[in-house]
Amino acid sequence: MYSEQLNLAMPTTTTSSSSFSSAASSSGNRQADVFSRLASPDPEVKLKALREVKNQIIGNRTKKLSFLKLGAVPAIASALSDSECNSILVQSAAALGSFACGFEAGVQAVLDAGVFPRLLRLLTSSDEKVVDAGARSLRMIFQSNQAPKYDFLQEKNMEFLFSLLNSENENVSGLGASIIAHACGTTVEQQVLCEAGVLEKLVILLDGSLSQREACLESLATVLKNNPEAVSRFVGLEAGRYLSSVTELTKDRYPRTRLLSCLCLVVIYNTSPSYFLNMGTKSSLVTTLLELLNDPGQSGDEAALGLSSLIAEKEDLQKLAYEANAIKNIVDILKTGSELHPKRLQGLFLSLAELCSKLEDCRCSFLSLEMLDLLVNALRHNNADVRTAACICFRNAARSVKVAVLGALSNIVLDFSSPKSTFIEYGGIKQLIELSKSMDPNTRCSALRALRNLMFLADKKRKELFYSEVKAQGFVSLISGKQSPLNHNHMIHLILQLTTKTKTYSSSDPEPTVQEQGLALLRNLVDGCINSIEFVFDEEGLILDTVGRQLRKSPQAQMAIQGMYVLTNVASGTELHKEAVMQQLFPQPQAESNNFMLKFLQSHESQLRSATVWTIINLISPSSPGALDRHVKLREEGIIPQLKNMVNDACLDVKIRIRTVLSQSMSFVPDTLIIPQVKAVRKSLYHYLYHS
Amino acid sequence: MATSKKVITRDEWEKKLNAVKLRKEDMNTLVMNFLVTEGFFLFPYGETAEIDLATITDRMAVKKAVQNGNVEDAIEKVNDLNPEILDTNPELFFHLQQQRLIELIRQGKTEEALEFAQEELAPRGEENQAFLQELEKTVALLVFEDASNCPVKDLLDISHRLKTASEVNAAILTSQSHEKDSSLNPKLPSLLKMLIWAQNQLDEKAVYPHINDLSTGQLQNPSE
Repeated sequence: MYSEQLNLAMPTTTTSSSSFSSAASSSGNRQADVFSRLASPDPEVKLKALREVKNQIIGNRTKKLSFLKLGAVPAIASALSDSECNSILVQSAAALGSFACGFEAGVQAVLDAGVFPRLLRLLTSSDEKVVDAGARSLRMIFQSNQAPKYDFLQEKNMEFLFSLLNSENENVSGLGASIIAHACGTTVEQQVLCEAGVLEKLVILLDGSLSQREACLESLATVLKNNPEAVSRFVGLEAGRYLSSVTELTKDRYPRTRLLSCLCLVVIYNTSPSYFLNMGTKSSLVTTLLELLNDPGQSGDEAALGLSSLIAEKEDLQKLAYEANAIKNIVDILKTGSELHPKRLQGLFLSLAELCSKLEDCRCSFLSLEMLDLLVNALRHNNADVRTAACICFRNAARSVKVAVLGALSNIVLDFSSPKSTFIEYGGIKQLIELSKSMDPNTRCSALRALRNLMFLADKKRKELFYSEVKAQGFVSLISGKQSPLNHNHMIHLILQLTTKTKTYSSSDPEPTVQEQGLALLRNLVDGCINSIEFVFDEEGLILDTVGRQLRKSPQAQMAIQGMYVLTNVASGTELHKEAVMQQLFPQPQAESNNFMLKFLQSHESQLRSATVWTIINLISPSSPGALDRHVKLREEGIIPQLKNMVNDACLDVKIRIRTVLSQSMSFVPDTLIIPQVKAVRKSLYHYLYHS
Repeated sequence: MATSKKVITRDEWEKKLNAVKLRKEDMNTLVMNFLVTEGFFLFPYGETAEIDLATITDRMAVKKAVQNGNVEDAIEKVNDLNPEILDTNPELFFHLQQQRLIELIRQGKTEEALEFAQEELAPRGEENQAFLQELEKTVALLVFEDASNCPVKDLLDISHRLKTASEVNAAILTSQSHEKDSSLNPKLPSLLKMLIWAQNQLDEKAVYPHINDLSTGQLQNPSE
């Protein structure tokens, strides 16, 4: 991708873009050339080639890959095995070490080349540089998951390990510590190491060079993890001096040292918290880890996991973290938009999950930060650990019952066209349905609002999923005894969403199953209290009666809007449905001459005008058999003429719909009725519609 | 503008400064530390037993190579000294590669520079998005007929070499660092940071002569 940009930046002095392909192939040629010289019998040539390869691959992942593909590793391994010349040993070991440095494919290749024992033998060389090179390479290998298993239980291996730890050479002692850090796994191994005196050896490294300190901290963490006896032994060394040293190192100038010492303390705290009675230490541990989260490299990745491990299940530490602004800091990092390493994402979400696990303040704080889109994206991440962490985070955050929180939840617009979406898997809808049955009316209301938003623009599959979830619980229980106006509003919205196909007018095949079920839903709604702004849902009769009744009672604009949309949707159904709507609009016999449709069309609320016009559109859709009769009726009632007065409605949406109606109307005027006035009106309308 | 802060005149300030007693040994240590870490002086006297002269020489050779524009040579020397440094320091490695490109451009070797940019620098950008911006700046040098007068001409400045040299020097020092208070840890930068911090703190309480230019250390009157 980037090479294309370089193409554009190319000055005109060069010949052509083919110079780039030749550049690529010439570099390929150079690589092949140096590779062939690796096999040279002449030691001078071989040495030079080894050095060249080494210098090309160090720091350069791309080159490591391309040399790897050429088969450089086995070639270098042979050079190492077949030579006794110190320079060749140094260069080949260094090259192999570089292949293994942070590059899993390289580690694999080095191990596959069978050169591991040879590297071990280098440690006994009389040449210090050879020892250094060997020790470094081995350390790179042991940092990988693919490193050979080290059997600490074998006495020979223990002896060897301790000989490494005792070495004056810092690379060698560092190797010893690295082996422990990465290969020690079981409690038995920890025990055996402690009894052999490994802790005493390791702590000496704390006063050594930077790399020794870091290797020591890593290995301490491994040996002490979940082993109270080992921890007590460590703390007991020189009356707690080394615990203090490690604590001091959390303020070291080097971030990696700070990180490793923090991780060590986290291990100690999780294993034996009694050594951390001091609030100050706990607090500074939390804040140091929080600072380290901002490190862009590996330290930041590991700090996130470290933090989640530290605050797990510990309410007091979660509080400390919250007070130190952890939530905002973490959310800011997540929102930076740059690609974060999966480990870091996992750590950050787990930390958030822990923060939200017990503390209501945390949950509110978190949900107020509009993180939900990011959270949902994380639910779809290709790394399973990240998905799991995001789910736990979501689940914990959703425990909150505050309305504001649920209000934020209702802003989720989830697209789960695949029914197997993680959200559903983890019971997102179930969660909301549960909440919609809460004792607290505000909670019920907010949950319904969330459900309603979920169903917005939902496809048939999603709706059916909802039905299947809801059926299991019994839909009637969605509505509990005391209705609040908000609940009803949301319930209507919810039903609206469920019964809506799309917003656009469509006379084509409705989805009978969904619509029928929507109407069935309506039928099942339990009776509530009547008041001037509420709709009543009859258990027995169709909601339509009630909706119609309410509409005829001059409701407030918002209610009228909802009611008209209900009618719109019903009118988009079958003939029977359209007729039923007509019944509601113009009941026989008419008790009052009050024609609410006319009133609505003259309303100040553009949405109400719009909703009313929609209903009309659906009622007279030309493809349905009864459309003509309905059109006649609408004309008689003065609805169509009213629409003609509204061709210049201020609201664009309304204007467009009216034109739709009027153009539909054209098809209803029978050709036999060629009255000059009608002709004239028709002509001017045509002109108006199509030429203005 | 009315201020509730205490006002300290130049005279008063200088009197206070002169009243501070510094031990000569401390001054010597500081100067020695600077000379040793910057590689001017290979034979430290006074304290410091554990400095390996060979490593200082190696480190100085690397620094000198960068300062002279021989970046490839510098890279080879660093790798001989400790192959891990560049393998574990992607930012430093990128800056060295960048400097190499700059040198090629400076020498007018345009085609070689292009090849190098494509082969060596572009992958760095792919491996690590954080480098893309600097990468673009550097490649921009190739676009202009007269690179020494373009918007990114600062890259060609000798000071950029010094910056890169300093970065490498610091990385080597880090890898060689022994005790926490080793004389190989440069002390001057920390002292300067502390000076600035102290001035910032005092700013909230008083008006007094500042040192604004660290390179001259001149006091500037409060009104200036």
